[in-house]
Amino acid sequence: MKKLIALIFVLYIGVEMFFVFYQIPFGMDRVQSKVGKFYLEHSPKDLKVANAVTSIVVNFRGFDTLGEVTVLFIATTALGSILFRSRKVHNRLNSKRTSVEASMIVQVAGRFLVPLIVLLGAYVFIHGHLTPGGGFQGGVIIATGVLFLLLAYRQFSVNHEPITWIESLAGATFAGLGLTGIFVGKTFLENFLGTGKLNDLLSGGIIPLIYIAVGFKVAAELTGILDTILSISVPVEETENQN
Amino acid sequence: MVAVNPIYYIALPLFFAFLLPLFGKIHKELIRIVPGLLYAYFLGMSFYMLRHVFVTGQPYIVEIAGWKAPWGINLVFDAFTGLIITFISVLAFLVWLYSYRFKKVEFDNALKYFVLLMLVTAGSMGIVMTGDIFNQFVFLEITGLSSYGLTAYYRGRDGAEAAFKYLLIGSLASTFVLMGILLIYTQLGTLNMADIARNIHLMKPSLKIAAFLLLFMGFGIEAEMFPMNGWAPDAYSQAPGPIGAVFASMTSKAGLYALIRLTFTIFDFSSVSKLLFIMGLLTLLFAEGIALRQEKIKRMLAYSSIGQIGLIMVAFSFNTYLGVFAGIFLMINHALIKSLLFFSASYLAYNSPKKYIKDIQGFGKVMPITSFLFALGAFAIIGFPPFSGFWSKFYFLLAAAQKHYIVLIVLILSVSLVELVYYLRVVHKLYFAKPTGDYEPHSPNWNGMLAMILLALVIIAIGVYPDLVTHYIDKAAVMIMDKAQYIHNSLGI
Repeated sequence: MKKLIALIFVLYIGVEMFFVFYQIPFGMDRVQSKVGKFYLEHSPKDLKVANAVTSIVVNFRGFDTLGEVTVLFIATTALGSILFRSRKVHNRLNSKRTSVEASMIVQVAGRFLVPLIVLLGAYVFIHGHLTPGGGFQGGVIIATGVLFLLLAYRQFSVNHEPITWIESLAGATFAGLGLTGIFVGKTFLENFLGTGKLNDLLSGGIIPLIYIAVGFKVAAELTGILDTILSISVPVEETENQN
Repeated sequence: MVAVNPIYYIALPLFFAFLLPLFGKIHKELIRIVPGLLYAYFLGMSFYMLRHVFVTGQPYIVEIAGWKAPWGINLVFDAFTGLIITFISVLAFLVWLYSYRFKKVEFDNALKYFVLLMLVTAGSMGIVMTGDIFNQFVFLEITGLSSYGLTAYYRGRDGAEAAFKYLLIGSLASTFVLMGILLIYTQLGTLNMADIARNIHLMKPSLKIAAFLLLFMGFGIEAEMFPMNGWAPDAYSQAPGPIGAVFASMTSKAGLYALIRLTFTIFDFSSVSKLLFIMGLLTLLFAEGIALRQEKIKRMLAYSSIGQIGLIMVAFSFNTYLGVFAGIFLMINHALIKSLLFFSASYLAYNSPKKYIKDIQGFGKVMPITSFLFALGAFAIIGFPPFSGFWSKFYFLLAAAQKHYIVLIVLILSVSLVELVYYLRVVHKLYFAKPTGDYEPHSPNWNGMLAMILLALVIIAIGVYPDLVTHYIDKAAVMIMDKAQYIHNSLGI
């Protein structure tokens, strides 16, 4: 009975919410909205950034992005804190994260494809201010390359020492570039370098620098998360085999 | 502007939190010292800036990335937000001092603890200072995620359960807030709070109500409002002792601040104070009723903390100068006193094997100073003179009397009686029961003791000489009531 009442209540709220959100014209051209229009006008003109999404993410709302990068950082820290013990107990070199060895085709293809995947990821974040994509997307692409290696080779393991360094230095670069803006007499995260010419690789001032730092950070963090999660599946499999 | 800048409250903790693992490689002690230096700097900066705001009457408004609001994000350090930031800084420093040598955990755990501590304070300060509603959402996420990590810090089964519960409800809160922001943005095309407040009458009424309810519920969860506070007692009792103080004095206060900003500045409903009143009263009665039945000391404090949040909401719902004044005073007092109670109670609970209240009997003789400080905190929170809790309750009753809420006054006084019963039960166990067996307790180390004594001195100082803070609260109350001034400060119009 209690559950039924709860269900009816939830359904009622759901229907009400549906009618509220139904009034919003989704998919319509909302470019003319107040701040959106301003951003579109000013990102090629003032910032010399061809990709307006990047200029919004890294400059106009760069502070939010710094926050989101921090959210990812907390997720890795907290995850490492929760899973820390199980990772330490089981020797990672002997871990068998997949029950069967991957086939030779996967292994050879991995050897060939992984450098290309990393290259594509680096391209996506270095060209973030010119073409669609950016630090987050590029970082994720690189992490998928590492995931490929983790799945193809049972003995492959990630060394957490350099990951910590990359994570820390990349994060500090983002915040540090922001703080430098204050020290040179401007505001936090404001561009203090020359903006260059629109559509050039070296344009947009600190925006591409920040996005490269974000790319490194996201790649390192996701790699760390993948490795941490994959290496705890060991005890579960072992107990299953024993049964 | 280089030495003091409100942006440092957020940028520096993030910068050092990222670098802290590398500092640890240089010297192990640095991971404990660096956060302390940072908090000491914030302490000085807060007092300097607050003083400056009061002398000149000019708030600190910081634009980020060089774009004026509403195009860019801005931070507002005015009489109201500045006061909250100042007491968060004070408590952040004391929490650091208390946990400097907390239980001598190994290096990796200490590193994680201090990283998450820096981020949870940065997130709370961000929620309070930002002038942009989406930015507030981002800080809500930062605060929430670091709180989940800290709740699961001891890695026990109960801790994991509490953290998971908190994670589920917290994610729901974030989703609600995001949906509310979405509704506002589709209608008004802006995310700046002052700009939204200026144009809120342009929103369709049905969307406006839905957006308000989503935001109110979302931030209400973070503020531990009834009935979405099921996570709070578990999180408070499972997290390390000083983190209970962080939840009580920072994260819940940040959520409360967001609720106040929503109802006083952003939305223009005339009946919104009634909602605040009803929810506050329900929170108060529900929590104090349950606190009476708690067997574990930290859970009792958690429910008492929720009850205080309800009381603060009721005070703000009066929508009068005196009510807001009492509300801010209650916020400050609750942050100070509840921190002292959590600090001392976590040592009491640490020494009682099962953490039940009945296990601590006779501790008044075994741990005299800690027990004394707990008793002091208990009397202060109930509202005995000469402690600071007396004045905030006194002003609350004055505000209620001014509105002629006689029934409410009776109700609040009887709730105080309930508080008296469950706090005195603990104090009675501490002092008037025989110790069970000879037991060698872990006494607090010098830094924990220092933090507690400093807090107790502040509580007594405000109690004896309330003018220390009333002058500041007066300006803050005027500030939060003045919507036009906030819009003027933020947007320059």
